[in-house]
Amino acid sequence: MKPCLLERTTVLFAWAAGLLLTAAVAVLFGYLFMHGLEVLNLPLIFGKTPPWRALLLQERVFEGLFPALAGTFMLVLLAICWAIPVGLATGVYLSEYAGPRVRRVLDALFDVLAGVPSIVVGLFGFALAVFLHRHFSERIGPCLLISSLALSILVLPYIIRTTQASLEGLPREIRLTAIALGATKLQNIILVLLPKSLAGVMSGIILAIGRCAEDTAVIMLTGVVASAGLPKSLLSQYEALPFYIFYISSQYTSPEELQQGYGAAIILLLLCALLLLAAYGIRKGLTHLVFYRP
Amino acid sequence: MSNTKIRVENLYFSYRGRSVLRDVSVGFARNAITALTGPSGVGKSTFLTTLNRLWESTRDATMQGRVEIELQGRMRDVYDRGMPLTELRKKVAMVFQAPNPLPMSIAKNIAFPLKLAGERHRTVVAGRVEQALRMANLWHEVKDRLQDDARTLSGGQQQRLCIARALVLEPEVLLLDEPTSSLDPAATDAVEELLTGLKERLTILVVSHYLEQVVRISDRVVRFADGTIVAG
Amino acid sequence: MKKLHELVAERLLCLSALASSAITLAILAFLVVMGLPLMRAGGVLPLVYSPWAPFQGSFGIFPMIVGTCAISLASLVLAFPLSLGCSFLIAAVAPSAVSRGFRRLIELMTGIPTVVYGFVGIFLLVPIVRELFRSGSGMSLLTAALVLGIMITPTMTLFFCDSFDRIPKSYLDAAEALGASRTQQLLHVMLPLAKKGMLTGVLLALGRAVGDTLIALMLAGNAVQVPTSVLEPARTLTAHIALVMAADYESPEFRSIFTCGIVLYLFTLTVTFVVRAMGSAKDEAA
Repeated sequence: MKPCLLERTTVLFAWAAGLLLTAAVAVLFGYLFMHGLEVLNLPLIFGKTPPWRALLLQERVFEGLFPALAGTFMLVLLAICWAIPVGLATGVYLSEYAGPRVRRVLDALFDVLAGVPSIVVGLFGFALAVFLHRHFSERIGPCLLISSLALSILVLPYIIRTTQASLEGLPREIRLTAIALGATKLQNIILVLLPKSLAGVMSGIILAIGRCAEDTAVIMLTGVVASAGLPKSLLSQYEALPFYIFYISSQYTSPEELQQGYGAAIILLLLCALLLLAAYGIRKGLTHLVFYRP
Repeated sequence: MSNTKIRVENLYFSYRGRSVLRDVSVGFARNAITALTGPSGVGKSTFLTTLNRLWESTRDATMQGRVEIELQGRMRDVYDRGMPLTELRKKVAMVFQAPNPLPMSIAKNIAFPLKLAGERHRTVVAGRVEQALRMANLWHEVKDRLQDDARTLSGGQQQRLCIARALVLEPEVLLLDEPTSSLDPAATDAVEELLTGLKERLTILVVSHYLEQVVRISDRVVRFADGTIVAG
Repeated sequence: MKKLHELVAERLLCLSALASSAITLAILAFLVVMGLPLMRAGGVLPLVYSPWAPFQGSFGIFPMIVGTCAISLASLVLAFPLSLGCSFLIAAVAPSAVSRGFRRLIELMTGIPTVVYGFVGIFLLVPIVRELFRSGSGMSLLTAALVLGIMITPTMTLFFCDSFDRIPKSYLDAAEALGASRTQQLLHVMLPLAKKGMLTGVLLALGRAVGDTLIALMLAGNAVQVPTSVLEPARTLTAHIALVMAADYESPEFRSIFTCGIVLYLFTLTVTFVVRAMGSAKDEAA
């Protein structure tokens, strides 16, 4: 019996959709690499400055991506530093301590937080900066500190959710082993449960890093600028890789600058792809958690 | 013309590198109920799936050997390249251990195989649904509630529904994998009575480790042990 | 009889949970407080439906709301069939090796930064649209929706695959034993059972499309007008916020962006609660 028309159409349709999407990705990668591969070298990052002098902060880099890369690096580092302790603690609380009613309410709040568009989080960060400027210190404005705080809010739900999910996924026997040997609840969490769910927690953190490195909307409103050199303090403005790409796309003045834009896009793309692969490598089946955030 | 409906020769089966069936050679007679018994885990259920090739969707499984089944009056090699899988499964129907009605109405469950076969004519479908339900001794119990969800039936009724669903395409062989192990004694009796009535039309293979049942309804008992047939 | 440090630890964990959940509410509070003067001056509703004309003192965000709806719905129209096809391919149509590889590719796609999509869109797609339709700059609702559609397809596909994966195996076994081919199992068993989960995926993808800033900002042309065709430029709420970052913190123009923020926040709230309500009304398949 031959498959009927509906079935044959379905098969054809599925292959067509798959090919179309694959082609779209191939075009995206192909286009970027075709234009950016030749500039992918050390001068792209360090300009005319010798790399070691730039890395040792002895000389400012003017024509390279180094300040943007350094800015992104510091931004990610700070944001993750804020988000990890709070996120871990909240995840542990939700999974191990919270009663069913409290958990329901908090779950709903974190679902909302996970869905808030990043530009709105940026707006919140900006409002926070204005608020601090008025009420605490004239010195505070949009800056690295505010950006990293806003970004940490953006990725907080990731860390909470992965921590919570991997703790809740632990089998009963593991939960009870140490308790049966006389461990207290806290000892059990610190010595047994958290180490056992480390893979899940780590994958959440890596995803959060990728998200911080990639996000443009938040930092646009909270202190990133096109040219600032390396940030001097937490309260100064800074450069970042995604914003540089955005800026170049509309403000480039020469073909060389545009080429740098292609180079920057490739670097960001590879960075995010590597982080994602790492997260998937550590733990499979993350699909829900990864895509929750708009 | 011989009386053999199914002939299996030198069948080997392994799963994840572990041998499940070794050198099984056996024949089954037409229009009889054969019981396959033995301790659990000796490969009885696996043996059934080699007859309708259902094992092929499990990963890491391999099979060697020859399986022939008489279909439409002709001995056919089940693993021949010219044997379409879906046709084979329509002629060699299978019922599982736990009743597994699909989450749809009673009528739609029975009509499901017809839908797969492309039968669209409403009156034809309704007629064959009724016929199948009658064959499964279920018609009088469900005729007034054909549109109810199949999962509202009792366990025994669900299992007979699954048998009716297997019968609707008029198979020649019916494979049952411990069909009564999740049922209470009354429901078990109903299913057994049904099977006894069906053997005039079909060749039936039942996997079971309840010896009583085996003795009650089967014409022949084949005993498995350690991956091969030891008696029968 | 708990020890002291056990109690302290519990209190600390509870505190951080409360603090981080309070952020969700604090965001809304800040938006309202900052947007309040403008809202008080003109009332809330006029802001939403009146046009944008800063020189006449009208700061309505109606064109941006229309722009957001148009672009995200158009991207959904593109992404839905594409995701459906891709999830079919993964779940039933392709041989298992191809299916696994393709799934990896799609997972990888979710990691592509939106700014990179926007960047490639500007230099590759915009000239094509400009040449093909010979209208304007090539930055249009269509351009943004095309790229946005590609951007949300992986998310939607993975959600679809997920709801296929959650179908109990016994149903598939039953269908397979009755002679259903993989495609038939997909069409007659998996698809009807996965409907609800798939709707969740569509809603979350819509949320992603509405919440995205960069693609619309870079590709939609950002004209403040109610678009009348897909080839016209449009401005989304998110792009509007990014564009109106005036230095003067007190200008009414500036305050209107908080109204945009509130609208986006309320949209998120709605999507989240609809999805949660659908999730808690137990799956029929279970």
